[in-house]
Order: sequence, then C-alpha cells, then structure tokens
Amino acid sequence: MVSLSVLIIVEPNLIINTMIDQSKDVVELCISLLAIYAVWLGILEIVDQSGLGDKLAKLLSPIIKKLFKINDAQQIKYISYNISSNILGLGNASTPSGIKAIKCMEKDLKHTRFAMLMLLVINSTGIQLLPTTIIGLRAAAGSDTPSDIILPTIISSVVATSICVLLLFVYKKFKKI
Amino acid sequence: MSAYIIPILLILLIVYGVYKKVNVYSAFCQGAKNSFDLIKGIFPYIVAIMICVALFRVSGLGTVLVQFLSPLFSLLGIPKEVCELVLLKPFTGSGSISLLEDIISRYGADSYIARCACTIMGSSETVFYVSAVYFAGSKQKITPAITISLLGGVISAVFGCLMCRII
Repeated sequence: MVSLSVLIIVEPNLIINTMIDQSKDVVELCISLLAIYAVWLGILEIVDQSGLGDKLAKLLSPIIKKLFKINDAQQIKYISYNISSNILGLGNASTPSGIKAIKCMEKDLKHTRFAMLMLLVINSTGIQLLPTTIIGLRAAAGSDTPSDIILPTIISSVVATSICVLLLFVYKKFKKI
Repeated sequence: MSAYIIPILLILLIVYGVYKKVNVYSAFCQGAKNSFDLIKGIFPYIVAIMICVALFRVSGLGTVLVQFLSPLFSLLGIPKEVCELVLLKPFTGSGSISLLEDIISRYGADSYIARCACTIMGSSETVFYVSAVYFAGSKQKITPAITISLLGGVISAVFGCLMCRII
C-alpha cells in the first residue's frame, strides 16, 4: 500500500508494468514448482504407502507432541515429513508436506492454532544441515574452502530457531492460545 | 559425498516399497497427480505477495529501509555491506541469491564479508514467501509467527557473523 502511493508520486507508469512482469515471473516459478512438487509428492506417496511414513512419525512423535501440542496421527505424520526433509536440506520436498500438514490442521482449528504457528516459525527460520546451493556458488567463485561456512550456518540457524521456538512459547503463555 | 545421499535414500525407498508389496509406480503417479491442485491453490497467493515485494523494491522504499536500519545492524556486529541481504532475504529467494553472487564477486569468495553473506543466506528463509504458500487460503492469523520469524532472521545473521569471526 505504502509502496503504491510512493510510486504514484514518483513513477506512475512503472506500477502496472512491475505488477505484470512480476506476475509473469510467478507463472514461470509455478511451472517449475509444478514439476518439482510432482516428483516429491510422488516420492512422498511411496513413503506413505510403504508404511515408512508411520515409522518416521513414530520416531519423531515424542518431540513433535511436545513442540506442537497436538495428538492427531495424521498431523504428526505430515509434520514429521516436513521436518525431516527440512533437516535433509530438501527445501522443495518440505513445502508440499508442509502445505498438507496445514490443510490437515485447518480441519480442527480449535486445537491446532498453536501448532500452525509453530510449523511456520520452524519452516521460516530454516534449519538446514547442508546449504548445497551456497557451497556450489562459493566453489564456482573460486573459493579455497567452499564448505567452511557449514559450521557457522548450522550453529546460527540452530540458535535462531531455538530462540524463535522459545519466543513462540512465551507468546503462547501470554495470549493463551 | 553429499551428492550421493539423496539418490541412495531413493533407491533404498524403492527397494523397501517393493519388499512391502507396494505398487511403487502407481503410488508415485497417485502422489504426483496432486501437484496440479497444490499449485492451483497457492498460485494466486504467490502472485499477490510477489507483486507487493516487487512494488516495495521498485518504489525505493527498500533502499530507504536499508539506510535506516544499517547503523542499527552495525551495532549488532553485522557488516554494513551485507545489511541489504539480511533485509532482502525474507522477501525473495532469487533476488537474494543474485545479491549474494554480487557480494561474492565484489569482495572475493573467501573474504569475511562474503562468508558472512553466505552464512546469512544459508541460515535464514524467505519468510513472506513461505507464509504465503503455507497459509494460502487459510483464515488463521499468522502475524505473531511472521514477526518472530523475521526476528529470527536477524538473530541468525548476528550469530552467523559472530561465528564467521571465530571460526
């Protein structure tokens, strides 16, 4: 809104152009996402049907129950997919499972308000064990030790995520959600 | 090394699926079919959020914000050369990647500045994009979570720069 009003004063003819250009970019993005999600949703379905998903959920459920305060098996399963793909650095796989988890929790809003916020916080503070894209970039730019950022990255993202999770718990206490 | 992890996991998964008598091929197709619906659901929200981001950038408000916040960030130990990255990262993934490339080529891949930038890039996420996609069509109020996540981005930047100095 504010950006719009500034633009009207400065450069009015830029507005519609920018909007359409950006929208075109999103169409391109969505087409590549369509492909990426198809692959990962396919793989997820195999994980699901082979019963591996339930095992993974069982393994992670003590932590998830504590963090998210939920009890529904289906929800726990999707959240465990989401978290494990995040940790493996598969950002593209974590999004479809995250969306599924949110859709699933949406059905029973009374109990999942907090869990939904928690999922967003964990996903958007980004725990990642192997920042492969960035290591690739550094190697391409002729770095001698392209992977020496792994440790600082892990430490700072773990610290930030834990602080944020704590903050959300504090918020919960004040607001009683 | 890391290039092998995912393919190996995939092969193990397929072998396990066959062992469990799952029709792996049709399971894959069933899952992949959902991709269309998923994209159809999130598309309008990504368009809206990306337009807001683009307008914000084009209007020059982004630059104003950088100038306003960079003294504050310097106090926290974030070099001023990477301030823009800290602020850009929550909005756009591709935009911040190109900024990162720019920083790397300007200061050299092994410089302190570039290492800070890489750490910041790796330890934070595109908050607005993630929340638009995850909560497409949801009525849930998510402002508190977004605020906390944005704060988290700054915290990880502070720690990342600190770690780059130590390690």
